[in-house]
This record gives sequence, structure tokens and C-alpha cells, in this order.
Amino acid sequence: MIDADVVSGAMAEGAARSVGHLLVRPAQSGDLAAIERLASGSTPKLTNLPAHRDRLEERIARSSRSLAHNVDFPGDELYTFVLEDRDLGEIVGTASIRAQAGAQDAYYTYRQETLIHASQQLNLRHEVQTLSLSHEMSEVSLLCALSLDSRYRGTSAATLLRRARLMFIAQYPERFAETLGVAFPGYLDEVGGSPFWDSVGRHFFEQGYHEINLLAGVRSKSFIAEVMPQFPLYLPLLTPQARAAIGREHPAHEQALQEMLAEGFVRSRHVDIFDAGPVVRGERQRLHTLTHCGWHPVRIRPAASLPDAEPAMVANQQLADFRCTVARYALTPTGQLMLSEEQAALLGVEEGRAVLVAPLALPNVEDALDEGEL
Amino acid sequence: MRLRPIGHHDIDELQALAQETGVGFTSLPNSREFLAAKIDNAVAAFEGRVPEQERLYFFVLEDEQSGELAGCCAIEAEVGRETPFYHYRVGKLAHSSVQLDLHRTIDTLFLSSDHTGDAEVASLFLRPAYRRDRNGTLLSKARWLFMAEFRDCFPAKVLAEMRGVFSPDGVSPFWESLGSHFFPMEFKQADQLTGLGQKSFIGELMPKYPIYTPFLPQAARECIGQVHEHTRPALEMLKKEGLRWEGYIDIFDGGPTVEAYIDDVLAIRHSSCVTVEVSGDSLAQPERPGWMAATTGMSDFRCSWIGRGPGEDGVITLTIAEAERLGVTSGDALRVLEA
Repeated sequence: MIDADVVSGAMAEGAARSVGHLLVRPAQSGDLAAIERLASGSTPKLTNLPAHRDRLEERIARSSRSLAHNVDFPGDELYTFVLEDRDLGEIVGTASIRAQAGAQDAYYTYRQETLIHASQQLNLRHEVQTLSLSHEMSEVSLLCALSLDSRYRGTSAATLLRRARLMFIAQYPERFAETLGVAFPGYLDEVGGSPFWDSVGRHFFEQGYHEINLLAGVRSKSFIAEVMPQFPLYLPLLTPQARAAIGREHPAHEQALQEMLAEGFVRSRHVDIFDAGPVVRGERQRLHTLTHCGWHPVRIRPAASLPDAEPAMVANQQLADFRCTVARYALTPTGQLMLSEEQAALLGVEEGRAVLVAPLALPNVEDALDEGEL
Repeated sequence: MRLRPIGHHDIDELQALAQETGVGFTSLPNSREFLAAKIDNAVAAFEGRVPEQERLYFFVLEDEQSGELAGCCAIEAEVGRETPFYHYRVGKLAHSSVQLDLHRTIDTLFLSSDHTGDAEVASLFLRPAYRRDRNGTLLSKARWLFMAEFRDCFPAKVLAEMRGVFSPDGVSPFWESLGSHFFPMEFKQADQLTGLGQKSFIGELMPKYPIYTPFLPQAARECIGQVHEHTRPALEMLKKEGLRWEGYIDIFDGGPTVEAYIDDVLAIRHSSCVTVEVSGDSLAQPERPGWMAATTGMSDFRCSWIGRGPGEDGVITLTIAEAERLGVTSGDALRVLEA
């Protein structure tokens, strides 16, 4: 499991909160303690978000630097965001974007391949599945390291945290690759063991899956990948349990995966090298949020007089002070977005400023699945 | 008993031998057509009508009194010249990381044709009824005398493939865990195809990438480089001559391939050339013969046990029966070996 988007499970299950005053914004140094809490509470533990104070501090600093720099094309920038519940005054989620999955070091995945062994002599054709180490996903921009307080699981807060990053990407396309990727945590059994690791990685390390996972997060994943088998693996030689885990997400992430498929991401041939969790990829121009977002000037109206309308993500257009929230997609006849005074203040916008708006609802996942990559 | 090159008239007896060999003995399939062709090639090889590197020297051990064949053996001058010759090399790959304080070596099987161009001693089979009177040693070692005599016809190295481990019901754990995933057929069929010389399917179907042995079940790993119980005496005999296992195994059953530089094989180094003197006296015959003698012609090559070694003058005294068995007379040259 790796740079996955995850929902925190360690915190007590609470009643789902109504979406009131939720805001996604870049992380700041003051958010450190909250992010550390989210990191240690994620299920399962994320390689890319280790509950390690120094690493998280570096992460926030790197994000601030990335926002401060002029960037013409994606490099080793990392953007870390937090989800703030203004009513509680708490940080309840975090998520990141790596501008290039393998900018500093290679991004390793296993690529599922089929080799055809044919014999003219015997008039036989035999297909053999393999997993090959690949760096092919190194160039994509990676949505990663998402952890959400479990009280917000299944609410539009989860959607906002996950997809606010797409609202950011929509505004600063030059900072990101044409292709985006998301790696989901892989399948773990009832006792938290990874059948894939037990059949593959275990042979090459003295440490167990969770220890290696932690090391990968605190140090780097690529130096661990260098110890992994470099030659392709023949699937028939893996255990049936390991084969069944290939491309299968962790049960806690089924919904998140479905949402990303609805967004327009498609399953790829790539899986994580530790637990074989699926890596999905999406072309920016085919993602629902990026193709359905639009600019609207703000019209401030009293909260009580705002008409009912479908919910939407609304983002301001400031780089370092990026803000994204959920509001009603209520337009005036002249195409202005109607916001309350409070909502405008949350976004830091005044009347007349343009905001980026995209519907929160996604098409049926079945429609999106028709465009699977092969 | 004497060893000689196979002849056209041996076809019926050879087929009888082939029927007795069974699974794992790939070079003598029970096919008359195939065996006839094999004899043709061998006869042509002994007569020098085939280029040296393509020769297959096929010998039979005959009971010169009854005319029955007791066994057979062969030398292939250079393997892998006409059809590819594959092994797995059991190698090691270091997986290490300073940061992780980790250093491991993983046994890995690499598909290899490293032995292309080497000579091979093969196809040794002795009928159960003849497994006595050192006949097995004669069959095995006669080949070294032949190679010593015709050293120029052979390359630098020689190898021998040993039969791997099988369960009593003929199942190879190594095959079941590895080959069966890539060859949609029974071991027996794959084995037979190989015996018939139709080896191209191996290259076509075999995994090309190295195989990390930790991915194989323990039963299969335990077969790597191990011989079938019945093959152990043959392996011991070859080891005594100086052949060693250098990590190459059969791709189907995991049995070891042993090898040596031809010039280092003890029997070849220790054999010597002597002159025959036939004696009409009845010479003492030891109960257990300790010397082998081989003639110096190729197409009329003969090899058998003799009752005594040469004197210090380099003369070997033979009885009339011994001389007739070898087809020599006084004054002829012989190559002898204490064995």
C-alpha cells in the first residue's frame, strides 16, 4: 500500500456531520499536530503519510515552497492540503498531490503483462501472466496521502477532500502532468496481513510487511524497490491468495475507488509492489470535474434568500491561498454564482470576483467503466 | 563381454533395450524408426562420414558368446549444435541495502545454453540381468578410453546429465511446481519429445526470465541438483573421475549436470598405450578384473576387461580368448587403464 487515499478508522465512529462550513486549503505549519493525528489514525497505514513528525513537518514545508515557486512544468513539487471544519475549528482531513510520481526517485509499480508462449512444433499457444517492475507511472501526477477523520466517512466532506485537488489542478494545469494517477491500498486479510507480500516481498526482506511499509514512508520507497526482485514474476508461481490480491483494493477503500472510477479514472495494468493494490489513471481532459467546471462571478446574497440547487465545489483563484468549499450551484439569470456573506468570506472572495465551480454529483460509475484502459 | 560400436544388425536388440529403460531415460524412446535413424547416424559417425562436431558415438555392450546386447552407452561429440541445449544454472543474486541493513542472496534459476559445444556422455543403460561382473564400470569407463584415444575429435569439456528425483509413481516434484505451468502436457510427453530430439518446443514454451527459487514449493526446491536414488551409483562413478556439479540442472526434473575438462578426467589422464603379446599359456585370471583394455581403431573399437596389467616394458600379455575378444594380435597397440 502506498500513496493511497485513505479514510481514517481509528477515531470513534460518530454521526455523519452535515456539510456546513468545510474548507480545503493548503496545509500550514500550525496544522502539523492535526496531520500527525490523521496519519496515525489512517486505515490501513499509508506508506506516503507516515506518522512521523519530522517527515510531516518537511512535507508541509515542501508544500509551502511548491506554492511559493513559479512553476512552468511539473517537477518534484508536493502540495499538501487540509480539510478544516470551521464549525469545530478542527482539521479533519488531509490529502496531497505529487506533481510527478517519480520526480526525486523512480516510482515503482508492477505492470501486469501477458506473454504468449507458442510452439509451432506442438501447435500450442499458452498464455502466461507476469508482473514486471515498471517506472512507467513515474511521470504522472499522483493524488495521494489522503486521510479523513472517520466521522466524515461517506459524507460530501470525503468527496470534497478527494476532489478539491482536481479543482486545484484545473486552475494550474502547467504544474501537473496530463495524466493523473491514484494508488489505492491493497487487499489485507482479516489479521491485517498482505497475501501478496507474503508470497512475494517476504522472500527478499527480513522485516515484515508493516515494518517495511513504515520504513518506506519514513525513508523512501525506491530504495526498498531496489531490493525487490528485478526480473518479472510469473504469476503461476505465486500462491493463489497472492494472485487473488492483485489489483484488489483494501475493503475500506471500495467506495473511494468507485468514486474515482466515476470521476473518469480507469483501472490500469499497474499495481503496488508491496501489496498489489490497484493504481488507477485518468487523462485530465476526461475527468468529470475538469470537464464540467466553469468560472462564475460571485454575487453575494443573504443566506436566507439563497435558492435551493444541486451541491457544487467552489474554489477561489488564489494559488498559495487556495480555498475550496461546498455550496449550492445557484446561478443568477446572468450566470453569477450566488453565495452568502459567510461563504464568500470562507473563500476569501468579494462580490464580482470569479470562482471555479463544479458539480459535486458524478455520473454513474457504469458509464465511466466503458472506457477502461487496455 | 565387450563393448563395440553399434551396427545396423543391432536394431532388434536395441529396441528391446529401449523398452526396458522407462521414464526419465529420454535418449532411447521406444520408436523403431527413431532407433534405426540413431543407428545410421552412429555408424556414419564411427566411419568418419559425419563432421566431427555432429557425431554421436553409440556403443553397445555385447555378450560375445550369446550375441545378446547387455547394455549401451554413448558419447555426443558436441551438444547443442543442431538443436538448442538448455539447462538451468542455479545462480545467486544479492539483494542488499545499506539503509535497510539487509544482505540476502537469493537462489535463482537462469535459463542457460552455456554447455553448447561440450561433449556429453549419455544413454548409459545396463540390463538388470547383466548388473554384475563390473559390466557397469566397463560401460561407463570405456567411453573415457575412447575419448582418450580420439582426443582430437572432442572439445575441451564433457558433461553428463543425471536423472532427477521422482516419486515412486513417477511424478517429478520439480516438474509439477515449475514446468507444468508452462508446458501444457504431462512430464512424460515433454520427456519423450526431448528424447526424440524435438527440443525446439522447450525454447518456445519455457519461461525466459530467471526463476527465484523461493517462489517454488519446498518439495521442488529439494529436488534441485538431486539425483534419483537409482542414479546415485552412476553419479558416484563420474565424481570419482573428477566430474563435478557446477550448478547446472535439468530444466524438467532438476537433476544435476556434472562436468569436467576432458583432459582432467582421471581415466583419460591415467590410461596408457601398450603393445600386445598374445600368449598360448593359460594365464591366471583374477576373480575381479582390475584392468580395462581398448583398441585403437574407431570403427572397429573394442573394449573389455583383461586379466592383468602391462609389464614395465610396456607390453601387455593377453590370452588367446582376450585377444580374440578385442580383435588384436601380437604387436598391435592397446590403450589400458587400471580401474
